[in-house]
Amino acid sequence: MKPTSTDLGLVARVAHLHKSYGTTNTRVNALTDVSVGIRRGEFTAIMGPSGSGKSTLMHIMAGLDTASSGSVWLGDTDISGLDDSNLTVLRRRRVGFIFQSFNLVPTLDISGNILLPFELDGRAPTAEEQAWIDRLIAVLGLTDRLRHRPHELSGGQQQRVAIARALATRPDLVFADEPTGNLDSRTSREVLTLLQTASREYGQSIAMVTHDPVAASYADRIVLLNDGRVVDDRSRSTPEEISSIMLGMEALS
Amino acid sequence: MTLMLRALREHAPSILVAALSSAFGVSLISITGVLTEVIADADLNSETLTFILSFIAVVFIVIALYVGALVTANTFATIIAGRVRTIALLRLIGSSAAMQRRAVAREGLTVGVIGALLGGIVGVLFPVVVVGVGVAVGMIPDGSYTYATATMLLPVAAVALTTTAASWVGSRRVLSVSPMDALGAAGEQSIGEQTARRTRNRVALLLFLGGNVILGVAVAIGQTSPLAVLIGLAGGILSFSGVVMAASVVMPRALRGIGRVFGSSPTARLARENAVRYPERSARTTIGLVIGVTLITTFAVTAASYQSIIETAQKEMPGVYEGVGPVLTVTVAVFSVLMGFSALIAAVGMVNNLSLNVLQRTRELGLLRALGFTARQIRRMILIESAQLSGAAVAVGLVLGTFYGWVGAQSLIGGIPGSPGIVLPTMPLALIGVIVVAAATLTVVASIAPSRRATRITPVAALARA
Repeated sequence: MKPTSTDLGLVARVAHLHKSYGTTNTRVNALTDVSVGIRRGEFTAIMGPSGSGKSTLMHIMAGLDTASSGSVWLGDTDISGLDDSNLTVLRRRRVGFIFQSFNLVPTLDISGNILLPFELDGRAPTAEEQAWIDRLIAVLGLTDRLRHRPHELSGGQQQRVAIARALATRPDLVFADEPTGNLDSRTSREVLTLLQTASREYGQSIAMVTHDPVAASYADRIVLLNDGRVVDDRSRSTPEEISSIMLGMEALS
Repeated sequence: MTLMLRALREHAPSILVAALSSAFGVSLISITGVLTEVIADADLNSETLTFILSFIAVVFIVIALYVGALVTANTFATIIAGRVRTIALLRLIGSSAAMQRRAVAREGLTVGVIGALLGGIVGVLFPVVVVGVGVAVGMIPDGSYTYATATMLLPVAAVALTTTAASWVGSRRVLSVSPMDALGAAGEQSIGEQTARRTRNRVALLLFLGGNVILGVAVAIGQTSPLAVLIGLAGGILSFSGVVMAASVVMPRALRGIGRVFGSSPTARLARENAVRYPERSARTTIGLVIGVTLITTFAVTAASYQSIIETAQKEMPGVYEGVGPVLTVTVAVFSVLMGFSALIAAVGMVNNLSLNVLQRTRELGLLRALGFTARQIRRMILIESAQLSGAAVAVGLVLGTFYGWVGAQSLIGGIPGSPGIVLPTMPLALIGVIVVAAATLTVVASIAPSRRATRITPVAALARA
């Protein structure tokens, strides 16, 4: 019997993943034979230059997009065969998202945004979950902001709300797509530290897509993609090291 | 070519609205003309009747024009909101805001002229068919009637002008687009649409209250003189103008109220907020329908109350009021159809607005999908939004129409011999049924296209950068 993801200590994994766009004549291979696992409790950065396939990889792992071939597991669930409504429920319960452009629902206040995943599930948070949410809100410094609307908050504050929303359900895995792309450097550092803390102290598994070496240096592990293939997989590195690898990749291609 | 197609698709609803208004105006003038000829031939009291007919035609055309202009202004405002980035880009490379706005007004002129001409052609042909049928079944005496007169150019020109003016009003937003909007991820804007309208709201309140006082006076005087109905008419116009003017205050409240009916599930809550997130826009979207429903209800309630007062009076003094009923029923039917036309124009506006609204919410809908909204929940949300819009419009229209209609009947015949004095309004249940069914149909129809579009949005849309 094959080992499951859990046996391997993985929270998500893809095997022999291919993804291509377009018809035969104009085919573009976004991902070519990618096999990689995201380890439970770790903060993983998925890096690569524009067009390297890092976003596509994240979309497929999160059940937002489908693979051309290959297998995708979230925990021990093979999600490559799930239909739209099952994928929707899976995302609702087991995945969290943090976006570059924050993406809060403008018509809901901060509290409503944080509780949205529970509401979509048609239930109120349990006492234990509520205690966790309250703690998140306090740690993220949002206590005074709960009744505000997203547009009344600064970018950094909005991103904290998004982090609270992503962590609230204690999902198996949080996907962060260039979470600091729209923030200044000081706010970026704050947000990255928060993600790091979430992973170290609460054991939250996080996969962050980025092309910024500084952001990637906060992660425990760095998976590098180029031209749709995994080209490097390394543990925690300094921004300088990451930069030089990235520059090396440019030279090769 | 694709640009042309896109522009056509964006403007198709406005062209349709202009064409409907113009067709309505032209055919109403034409049919009025034919009727006048029939009356003149029959040698009835022709002068007075002709005058009344022309007056009624003008009133209905003006109402249709007004509703059409509201709808078009709203459509243009929505289109502009979706074009912010393009406009900002043009501003960035050196176009002035005034130039941009003039360009929009030119589009409005084109839309108006095309729509007015198309509608004009239909408007000329339609009465030919109607009269043909009328002659065939013997309702109208055979004869050579004039179907095309110079007067008919008036509604055509008026539609072209009001459409242009409406596009100008609707394009006000262009002035506030900054070239900077082209650089940033122009996300949520619109909040702050509601500015300095205090004075306007005060005037509106004054009109509404003043109008209602006059209506009260009309009811009191109606106990002795039927001429009170003229006072009532003045009061009604003032009071209703107040409501229309304050639509951006009144309608969002009505929308919220109606929204509560759908419960507090996240779907319903989001729908409720969506329906009021642009108060100006939802007010403009719904006020056309409110006008239509109010007018229809006013006439119907007047007629029904009139009839029940007459019936009571008849029991008191038998024989005096024979044969009033049928005439009244026909009159109400004809008026309802004429006013239903304005409601139809308003309905086109609502369908269009909901569509554009969804189109502009792509990213947000993608986000909801990513966070775990099922396609079904999205469809439900849009259906509820649609139901809120039509429900609020119908509710406000029914309440106002019942009140005005009651005043109408009371002031007209409250003092006739044998009258029961001041009584509760009589509700024409059949007509209310028709309005409710029409509103339900509109709700579903308006939500079909946007739902289909919205459920096609993939969650990846939310992650798309910038």
